[in-house]
Amino acid sequence: MSASVTRCPGCGSSNIVDDDLYCQAQRVCVDCGSVVSEGVLTDDWTGDTEISYSRTTAVARKPCLNLIKGLQRVKAICRILRVNNEIENHSQAYYTQAYQHDAFIRVSLQKKEVLAGCCVLVSCRLLNWPVTMGTISCLLDADPVVVGAVYQEMIKILNIKAPVFIINDVMEAHSQEYKISSLHVPEELAENSRDLTKRAVALVELAADTWIVTGRHPTPIMMASIYLSWQSLKPNKHRLKLTLDKFCQMAKVNKLKPAMKRIAEMKEVLCKLGREIPWVREAVTPDNVMQQVEDILNYRFALLRRALRTHEETLQAESEASGEDSLPEEAASSQVAEHGEQNSNAPTAEEYELNAESAQRPRDGNDDPHTEPEGNTGGGESQAPAPNWGKRVLFAPPCVVHPKRRRVERPECKDVTGDEDISDSEIDSYIRTPREAREFAQTQKMLSESEKT
Amino acid sequence: MDSSNDEALDIIITNVVATFRVRCHLNLRTIALEGNNVIYKPDCGKVLMKLRKPKITASIWSSGKIICTGATSEDDAKLGARRLARVLQKLGFRVRFSAFKVVNVLAVCSMPFSIALIDFTVNNRPIASYEPELHPAATYRIKHIKATVQVFSTGSITVTGPNVQTVATAVEQVYPLLFECRKPLRK
Repeated sequence: MSASVTRCPGCGSSNIVDDDLYCQAQRVCVDCGSVVSEGVLTDDWTGDTEISYSRTTAVARKPCLNLIKGLQRVKAICRILRVNNEIENHSQAYYTQAYQHDAFIRVSLQKKEVLAGCCVLVSCRLLNWPVTMGTISCLLDADPVVVGAVYQEMIKILNIKAPVFIINDVMEAHSQEYKISSLHVPEELAENSRDLTKRAVALVELAADTWIVTGRHPTPIMMASIYLSWQSLKPNKHRLKLTLDKFCQMAKVNKLKPAMKRIAEMKEVLCKLGREIPWVREAVTPDNVMQQVEDILNYRFALLRRALRTHEETLQAESEASGEDSLPEEAASSQVAEHGEQNSNAPTAEEYELNAESAQRPRDGNDDPHTEPEGNTGGGESQAPAPNWGKRVLFAPPCVVHPKRRRVERPECKDVTGDEDISDSEIDSYIRTPREAREFAQTQKMLSESEKT
Repeated sequence: MDSSNDEALDIIITNVVATFRVRCHLNLRTIALEGNNVIYKPDCGKVLMKLRKPKITASIWSSGKIICTGATSEDDAKLGARRLARVLQKLGFRVRFSAFKVVNVLAVCSMPFSIALIDFTVNNRPIASYEPELHPAATYRIKHIKATVQVFSTGSITVTGPNVQTVATAVEQVYPLLFECRKPLRK
């Protein structure tokens, strides 16, 4: 538009002034007031940068409040556990990562707190400062099952290869909880935690070798081993008389019920080994074994070997004395087992042929060669001719020594096809006669009325 | 030459879960009143019916969907399901047996050796996971056949999968891995 358009199209006058309407440039004729020309109201969109509405109207973007709180909770947990800075940083990184993943972004705040604990747990495990899940659940005041579920999901999502929980590592941290140093209890009951831990670790290793640890919850085992090591460090009458209950009260920890069973099992193992000590003349019973514990632990490998050899010799002597053919050579016994299976009355067992040539011969160092075929027959028949391997080996997991009775399978189920005819008579047995139904209804009515009154 | 080196591993099926539909609405009160061996659970909205012949427990919903558990083989489950449908038919409902499907099979198997669970887990990460504080067994999930194997240190394993064939395949797959991590049965 040239500035020199001089004539108004309406009235013809040349008195034209610039009179902007707000931001729009306009040229107006003074005499008649008509707008001669006007500028563009806005610029055309040149398409520079596409900025979304939410971005142009947003105030400075803040990180999620709950994420910040969660990170602070992670920090707090780390401080309570007194872990080092590296673990703290790792846990915070994991927490941020997991929090923003789809699986955890929309869960409840309680679960997010559990997630914080799990991040700390996994960082501790990765950086060699193991903490039990029990400790974390206690800190969070959460159900251990929930903690476990969140932990496993988090590991899967973040693809972490955490080392497996090993009880020996946690032993030291666990023993710190027991307040039985000389500051807390009288001198004769006190024990310094280093000695206690050392002996407890040796006891736990012995328990692991003799099938007590595997498959069991670790905390009662640790409690049992600490109790036994405390008793054995000074096996005087006072200590031996103190029950687990009183010990836990004194040490200010919560007693765990399974620990009693573990104590009994460990004492049994210690007795079995104590019997092999050459210089002990009297009989070793659970009551007097605590005095021998130090020697047993110091020489435990030798004693284990002796015990196994003695056991084997006893078994051989027994079988020769009975004169039966119950100790066949390995090949023959496996043949018998195979034939036994083919004619056996374990009808629902589906037999699966496998080539397992070396599986038959257990590895070297097997002091007990008779255990092999039983794995096959033990499962199917309820009246197995020979006892399971638990009965014949010196040390076996209690679940094998006292196995659950499997229900006897019925042989006629073998030929079911699923599409047979169903006779009316057997169906009728599932239906009440009208008279029975009426009586049942009446009885129910009477019962509900008598409950109301 | 001779098969004295072959060993049969007994895979014992302990439970088969199957579902089916009867394509009609069921009155749970009638079933509870006129049926024998029946437990009515109004809070869950279902009726539990137990059959004797294949030992089966069935959960019956009023929509006509039924879940059968407790059978020891797939055919057993089918027979039990059909028996159940016949009972409902006799009770007066217009029943049509349809959509029978075996949903889950649970089997146990016993290895002739014990297993070192920690070695097994370390060798088979991330498919295997073992948390002794949570569960005494190591879990091995075979994704492509949708089977889960739980391995115990005594050598027993439990396998769950959508059908019997899957269970057999799972045992086949997991056996060499277990064999690698076996423990001598000494102590």
